[in-house]
Amino acid sequence: MGESLAALGNGFLVALTPMHLLWCLAGVALGTAVGVLPGIGPALTVSLLLPITYSVEPTAAFIMFAGIYYGAMYGGSTTSILLNTPGETATIVTALEGNAMARAGRGGAALATSAIGSFVAGTLATAGLVLLAQPAVALALMLGPAEYFALIVAAFAIVTGTLGDSRVRGLASLGVGLTLGLVGLDPRDGQARLTFGSRYLLDGIDPIIAAVGLFAVGEAIYAAWLGAAAGERVPLKGSLLMTREEWRRSWKPWLRGTAIGFPMGVIPAGGSELPTLMSYAAERRLSSHQDEWGRGAIEGVAGPEAANNAAAAGTLVPLLTLGLPTSATAAMLLAAFQQYGLKPGPLLFSDEPSLVWGMIASLFVGNALLLALNLPLVGIWVRLLRVPQPYLHAGILVLASVGAYSVHGSAADLIALAAVGVIGFALRLRDFPLAPVVIGLLLGPMAELQLTRALAVGDGGWRSVLGRPGAATILTLGLLVAVAPAAVNALRRAPEQERSPTRP
Amino acid sequence: MIRRLLAACALGSCPALASTARSQAIPQAQLREPLTIMAPAAPGGGWDQTARLMQQVIQGAALAPSAQVVNAAGAAGTIGLARFVTAERGNGNALLVTGLVMVSGIVTNHSPVTLADVTPIARLSGEFEVIVVPAASPIRSLPDLVAELRRNPRGVSWGGGSAGGTDEILARLIADAVGVSRDSVNYVAYSGGGQALASILGGHVTAGVSGLGEFAGQIESGALRALAISSPERIAAAPTIPTLIESGVDVSLMNWRGVVAPPGITRAERARLEALVAAMAGAPAWREALARNGWTDLFLGADAFGDFIRDETRRIGPLVAQRKASAVPWGVGIVVAGTLALLLVGARGGSLPAASIGARSRVTLLGIALAALVGLPGLIGFVPSAAVAFTCIAHAFGSTRVLRNGAIGTAFAVAAFLLFAKVLGIALPPLPF
Repeated sequence: MGESLAALGNGFLVALTPMHLLWCLAGVALGTAVGVLPGIGPALTVSLLLPITYSVEPTAAFIMFAGIYYGAMYGGSTTSILLNTPGETATIVTALEGNAMARAGRGGAALATSAIGSFVAGTLATAGLVLLAQPAVALALMLGPAEYFALIVAAFAIVTGTLGDSRVRGLASLGVGLTLGLVGLDPRDGQARLTFGSRYLLDGIDPIIAAVGLFAVGEAIYAAWLGAAAGERVPLKGSLLMTREEWRRSWKPWLRGTAIGFPMGVIPAGGSELPTLMSYAAERRLSSHQDEWGRGAIEGVAGPEAANNAAAAGTLVPLLTLGLPTSATAAMLLAAFQQYGLKPGPLLFSDEPSLVWGMIASLFVGNALLLALNLPLVGIWVRLLRVPQPYLHAGILVLASVGAYSVHGSAADLIALAAVGVIGFALRLRDFPLAPVVIGLLLGPMAELQLTRALAVGDGGWRSVLGRPGAATILTLGLLVAVAPAAVNALRRAPEQERSPTRP
Repeated sequence: MIRRLLAACALGSCPALASTARSQAIPQAQLREPLTIMAPAAPGGGWDQTARLMQQVIQGAALAPSAQVVNAAGAAGTIGLARFVTAERGNGNALLVTGLVMVSGIVTNHSPVTLADVTPIARLSGEFEVIVVPAASPIRSLPDLVAELRRNPRGVSWGGGSAGGTDEILARLIADAVGVSRDSVNYVAYSGGGQALASILGGHVTAGVSGLGEFAGQIESGALRALAISSPERIAAAPTIPTLIESGVDVSLMNWRGVVAPPGITRAERARLEALVAAMAGAPAWREALARNGWTDLFLGADAFGDFIRDETRRIGPLVAQRKASAVPWGVGIVVAGTLALLLVGARGGSLPAASIGARSRVTLLGIALAALVGLPGLIGFVPSAAVAFTCIAHAFGSTRVLRNGAIGTAFAVAAFLLFAKVLGIALPPLPF
């Protein structure tokens, strides 16, 4: 550990040279600028900007790269919060409460808690990368598909507590999400499911497109249906950034989000969907402002935003220590390493210490730069909400279609966008909550995939999951967390009733 | 444009690249019109990288006035293939990137369009596959693995990339060659090399199979043991890894990539594209890029490439065709039926907000706008259709000055178009003029 810190010190000497600071700044600025565009997530941002770094010397290139990566993560949240058009799976959950806050005039606070939360989580998780990389990755490799499956089921169990006021409507929404997630090829045998003979549906419905359809398109149709009854958006109410109360309600979610995000980023299950959803569910469970959920609870932005940045740092652990790219963005970074003839893995730290530690140090620096860049930007972004309603809606829908098209360059995705938008409208009209749709859509396919793998690598029966101590433990813990609050409530209520038997 | 500018600045700062650009005598432009290169995959993968490298080299050597990359992702490239065949028929200035995975995708996805419908131009590059086990595995050599496979086919799990891809094809070819039923191959598909690698290193699967590049670092560090490589002969990059053939399994396979032209082009057009691609593949910048990516140069001219595609189709097709159909997808049925039931029950309890005056006309306008965004770009281009949609939506939300809104919408759409298509290089449906 002492060695790591000394090496990190040297890394800072590398990262803090004026030229490298400049590259870092260029990286975070470009990353933010491109990441903020709808439909363009970090992986695409990195791949679009990759050619720029080709002809720069490696250390500068990676410092810039790290900046682009973190910058794109920051930029992605902005559109999610302001326009309800998430550009990547990591910020879908942010849109749930974040856009509700923006609508209620607290867009500035949502952006601020997201920026500061990302800074806190990014910094702590990068520290985790320095101090815990080796043990964390050793532990992560022990987890197989059975454990991932257990983790997802546990997440499902915990999230069911957040289905909204009506269990039936919540479950129906969850079912809609699961159904959307079923579209495409069966991971077991490659059979087409619910594709109605269309080859365009073989790859399934992209969660980003579904989310933008549900949120942005569905919401616009709903607002048109309500007309004047929808009420005006409030561009800004109260202070621009966070109030004292909002600080008080944010710091714990930031820390919890980091604690959830970092380890989940390290495990090679891929993606930031699981950590952001887990954080959302945890915050919703723990919040003392239950009435605000769905109408802009700041915890629902602070937690997931911290979680996705912590997970982003977490994915660097297997990448740098073992050369394992466990997310699309990490795969792009690995490709970049290979462009320079570098092989990430145990040897990288000893072969290229100044590059690796310079890059890690620049993650800290980049995080600080991003905070400095993004907090002043909040005021400018919030002004977007002052655009007159008709133009705001029109602009959002046009950009949503551009974003949807740019994901795969397919007009079929535009049809999916509109179709899911109509479904979203129908659900809103009948008072079905949208959050469970997202949960089902993101977690359903993951659960199925991991179960399929667990059965394939095990003996095929239920013992391939329940027979593994790790998986069984995770399942039990998840179910306990899910059931405990209800049980505690029931126990609390019972003695009260005994004491007051006359109450009807 | 930003990329090009920055790349140009960066080029100036790097003497090695700048000198190669200078030393190369700029050949005569082969095409008079702009070239379109379609990558039938999302940005980032091997096909997209191939297309973008071609774009760079072709523009760098001025082989065409300009080159544009169009992505059309989906269904193992068959969606791009279908679009290419219909939309570009007879276009002598268009190329489509293809490869082994498309050969397999055509069969598994029952694609009505096949590689027999396009004009082969050239095979370009490829990667060989390696079979690995974790260092701690009791399996020491390929014969050990084969023995285990013969003893208990389902007990040997293979971890690799997506289903139907090169990795699964190799596992099935090996099973076939050693007399084990190809359908009993227990292949575990992972999305992306990292997840497969983690599963192999963690000992969750018996063996791993993937491109040499994905495993090279781990093989070098000793975390993985390479049992065999799928090249016909040992390769210079990994001289210690024995081939499948010398280990007694008569199989060779490469994850090749190439380019094809649309159907219905003239002989002269085909010859021109061949010459263009041959000049590109001979450029030092192309060779350097191949080396950087760890791809082997597998250049093959048009006629030989045509024969090669036919051979691969004959060999790979039957291998992936017979996938066991599951009986009744009862899981799907339960989810769909349950959801419908819950929706019906839930809808009764929900409170329907009263539609305000004019709700129907507003929603209809929005519907027209969505239809314009979905259906029109292919017909009249992105900017006009976005302007129409913008005006309709603004109208639906109470801004009735049609001309002014149309102007604002057009300006907005032009800005979005320039940003995506010109600055970022993401093709939107182009302007009709």
